[in-house]
Amino acid sequence: MTAITVVDLPPRAPANYLEEGHTLWSWLATTDHKRIGILYALSITVFFFIAGTAIGLVRLELVEPNGLFLSDDQYNRLFTLHGIVMVWFFLVPSIPTTLGNFLLPMMIGAHDVAFPRLNLMSWYLFTIGGIFTIATIWAGGVDTGWTFYTPFSTLFSNGHVILAALGVFVVGFSSIATGINFITTVHLLRCPGMTWFRLPLMVWAIYATSIVMVLATPVLAMSLLLVMAERFLGVPIFNPANGGDPLLFQHLFWFYSHPAVYIMILPAMGVISEVITCFARRRVFGYVGMVFSLLAIAVIGFMVWGHHMFVAGQSPYASLVFSFLSFIVAVPSAIKTFNWTATLYRGQISFESPMLYALGFIGLFTVGGLTGLYLASVPIDIQATDTYFVVAHFHFIMVGGSVTAYFAGLHFWWPKITGKLYSERWARVAAIATFFGFMMTFMPQYIMGWLGMPRRYHVYPEVFQIWHLMSTGGAGILGIAYVLPLIYLPLSLLRGQRAPANPWNATGLEWQTPSPPPKGNFDKIPIVVRGPYHYHPEAETAADHNRQPDIQKAEA
Amino acid sequence: MNTRQASALHIWIVPGAVWLALLLLLALTVGSAYVPLGIFNSILNLTIAAIKVLLVLLFFMKLRSSSPLLRLAAMAGLFWLAFMFVLTAGDYLTRQ
Amino acid sequence: MSEHSPALREPWPDLARQREGVAFGVWAFLATEVLFFGGLFLGYAIYRNTFPEAFHIAAKETDVFYGTLNTAILLTSSLTMAVAAEAAEAGFRRMTLWCLSATAVFGIAFLVTKGFEYHDDLSKGLFPGPGFSLHPPATQLFWAFYWVATGVHAIHLTIGVSVVGTVATALYRRRLPLEASTFEGVALYWHFVDIVWIILLPLLYLVGRAS
Repeated sequence: MTAITVVDLPPRAPANYLEEGHTLWSWLATTDHKRIGILYALSITVFFFIAGTAIGLVRLELVEPNGLFLSDDQYNRLFTLHGIVMVWFFLVPSIPTTLGNFLLPMMIGAHDVAFPRLNLMSWYLFTIGGIFTIATIWAGGVDTGWTFYTPFSTLFSNGHVILAALGVFVVGFSSIATGINFITTVHLLRCPGMTWFRLPLMVWAIYATSIVMVLATPVLAMSLLLVMAERFLGVPIFNPANGGDPLLFQHLFWFYSHPAVYIMILPAMGVISEVITCFARRRVFGYVGMVFSLLAIAVIGFMVWGHHMFVAGQSPYASLVFSFLSFIVAVPSAIKTFNWTATLYRGQISFESPMLYALGFIGLFTVGGLTGLYLASVPIDIQATDTYFVVAHFHFIMVGGSVTAYFAGLHFWWPKITGKLYSERWARVAAIATFFGFMMTFMPQYIMGWLGMPRRYHVYPEVFQIWHLMSTGGAGILGIAYVLPLIYLPLSLLRGQRAPANPWNATGLEWQTPSPPPKGNFDKIPIVVRGPYHYHPEAETAADHNRQPDIQKAEA
Repeated sequence: MNTRQASALHIWIVPGAVWLALLLLLALTVGSAYVPLGIFNSILNLTIAAIKVLLVLLFFMKLRSSSPLLRLAAMAGLFWLAFMFVLTAGDYLTRQ
Repeated sequence: MSEHSPALREPWPDLARQREGVAFGVWAFLATEVLFFGGLFLGYAIYRNTFPEAFHIAAKETDVFYGTLNTAILLTSSLTMAVAAEAAEAGFRRMTLWCLSATAVFGIAFLVTKGFEYHDDLSKGLFPGPGFSLHPPATQLFWAFYWVATGVHAIHLTIGVSVVGTVATALYRRRLPLEASTFEGVALYWHFVDIVWIILLPLLYLVGRAS
């Protein structure tokens, strides 16, 4: 029995959001946050596989020390494409715009986000940015790496820098619009009784992410604008010949791009908190600590960007400060990891596919986070800068962390979103294959990076071949693990069983509406009377039973 | 109708006064720029700019009478801007 | 009753909450803008600190007359914008319309003045690149910031003018009710664009005048 019960059920189920209209226009002109979430999900899936194909080719190329089939220039353009598309067209939007869009209003008991038309506009901006990026591929690609470092990008590169930068610039506005929408929604549209400390951690995570999006993305926009101005108009801004400083670009760029890592990982932390509590049947350990560590990561995450510039010519005193702050930001992340583990303690754990993904996340995130501490330390970073060690580190966070969490969330809420149950057996296969495929891809990269293999190199000495072979093999497994959901999830739409409203027996308002939910989410605005994650069986005392139910239906 | 017209005029009083103050400050800042004060030229000009910004924020943008939530949102940008300036300056001012 | 006001939109429960939501949303957007321009100002500050003499030489070439005139125009447009928002709140439809139109006209006046100024700047060879008329090379950095900052500001103002024009037209055709939360949001944006110019004035026009 769930702790939350609904008093007086609606007389008849209203039409769900999928049945509100069947034309293409009813999707392209929708302002329903759930449909916009679906639009985003479809778009980012396309980009995920574009970027995945690019890196698949790169990994295949690296099987031989002297390469197999790509020219140097093609190689540079492929890994740049992989980086740009994965970062801005998959990882940054992934959880917030799909699961966040779909769930945030439901989790706080609202009918929609604060500005539904702005929400739709943000998807169109995303699409326009995407078109620029596709056009870049079409035109022949860009070879600067995803970081657009000057003066290469402004003065020397012969790739399509302006087109690519424009795509990222536009998609930045989509990020900002989404962030503003979510912040306003959380501040002003919580239902009666939904106090700040009754919010599910997913909502807190999306809220913290939105703050980072709103305050960091504009600085990226400005740095790209300056690159475009220098390249297009020829005004010298970062040009050393006029006394300009390329490091200024790095400061501006990393002022966004380091917090961007937290844009990717904070929502993942939210998803994992929901999944772990549900499948451990335990209230999350240290809720308040979890909330404040989310906020601390969001704020302190803005003060650590200089650790990307230890060897770039930055003042050693600044490096010292940035190194110290980078160690500090690891503390709240560690609190979260310990709290998830503590949540599992004495829990009644079951291993459904979302939980498998979530457990994988904890392991991979821990490895990625701890190696982050190596790199935050100046002397070790000087040794490891621009090696595969760095590549492995941030892939453990972004892929092992964010992407795994995205799949955890996708599996967890899939029955709610589509109203169908997927094949649990295949989902478990995919979850386990993800973990092992991932480990096999990136563990060798730590090793060869430590041994001195630099990143972004097309050819390499033969001693590294064994590690590259292992990595490419792992990438194959990882690729299969990512393609599997692309098969069994859509199949569930055709052949899956109908999902009940709350298949996992989870708490949270989103499980209190039918699956799939009706257009306005709730027929009546709910009233919340206690905090989230009421999973404790032993807490279900007689006194609890006599208490009011968690939510009641109030007159809207 | 008379009271309506009167209150219509009334609307102009506060913004009008602020506007006058802004124009006076503009005259002051441009005039002072031609008086050789050394480093204090810049300090004076930036101080006047800050006062003008504050006037616009408080009166035109009504932060004077806004809810704490709006003031918080208004301050957030400046707060984060301070991170950016302090840490970047920390690099440039300590380079050898 | 505000409950049934035509200005009320989904998903807001009442108009007061919606107003606060719109104001909050616009302020959040302005926080974004603060950091957007902040990145530019950071670059300016770093380079000015590195090359103080070059910045004095370069800044003396900007046109104080146009700069001051434009500041006055923009400050006046903020006055009419503030009054327009207050008038809308007080329910004065005609006054709102007039003030909005005046705001848009002042905005256009600013852009026209800026156009003349740009023309003069170009004819004096003040666009960085080959044929740039000043020395040492770091003066080009100042002028790079001049063009980017004023250009980005002008784009913001152009957006402002078109939004104010659209809102005024919608009000005139009675497609936008006077109690809509739109006016306050538009006003906030307009004042912000004004603020950016208030800061640009001492950075671009008043440096090195006394020496």
